[in-house]
Amino acid sequence: MRNVLDPFQAIADPSRRQILMMLTKDKQSINSLAGNFEMSRPAVSKHVRVLYEAGLIQIKDQGRERLCELRQDGFDDIKNWLIFFDQFWKEKLQNLEQLLNQRININEND
Amino acid sequence: MQRDLIIKWFFAHPPEKVWECLTDPELVNQWLMKNDFEPVVGHKFRFHTKPIPKMSFDGVVYCEVLEIIPNQKLVYTWKGGPEPGIIGLDTLLTWTLYPEADGTKLVLEHTGFKGFKNFIASVFMESGWKKGIARRFGKVLGEMK
Repeated sequence: MRNVLDPFQAIADPSRRQILMMLTKDKQSINSLAGNFEMSRPAVSKHVRVLYEAGLIQIKDQGRERLCELRQDGFDDIKNWLIFFDQFWKEKLQNLEQLLNQRININEND
Repeated sequence: MQRDLIIKWFFAHPPEKVWECLTDPELVNQWLMKNDFEPVVGHKFRFHTKPIPKMSFDGVVYCEVLEIIPNQKLVYTWKGGPEPGIIGLDTLLTWTLYPEADGTKLVLEHTGFKGFKNFIASVFMESGWKKGIARRFGKVLGEMK
């Protein structure tokens, strides 16, 4: 499955965080999730879809029910972004430091 | 609440020199990425680098200058996504310079990963993330307000 939505965006919505929260306890069908909300089932279903597209949950058909559960790889994606930028900036700042050191030498040789 | 990456760095060079490297597009190109930055509030510019498909990033960072205090502070947006027109990553970069006796302290803040206040702290503070992910994630979500 290819992620089409950024997990950060998916998780910015409070209802979607609530859905994830419910799924931390156990896998649940979309119907049983919808039972916890005042919004309509299609609205809940739409949120579920966003979470799915962000790779945060997986959906399995079981009989007539569609069961949602947390998808571990999706959480690793988030972690990867953070680790990526931490490393990215440290590398770039090292470059910057080198550049500054070089420029001092250039100026001194003038 | 938004508070994500904060990286501190010390340079044995005066703030003016560090500032020059943060705001001269040719110098920025040398240590960071190809860009069309201008030190003007409201200026929209881009960074170009190699795409990272597995991170849904096409190699273009879209930016807009929000704040400039010469030799002290520079703020710009930092957005990117899998293809033009689709922004997955909508974040903010803040560069702050503090003069010190023998150089400059730089504080780089990369913020705006929405809704992730404690989640991020938690990711960085604990290893063994994979174990008990459901329980831990639930705890983090509960703290996130």
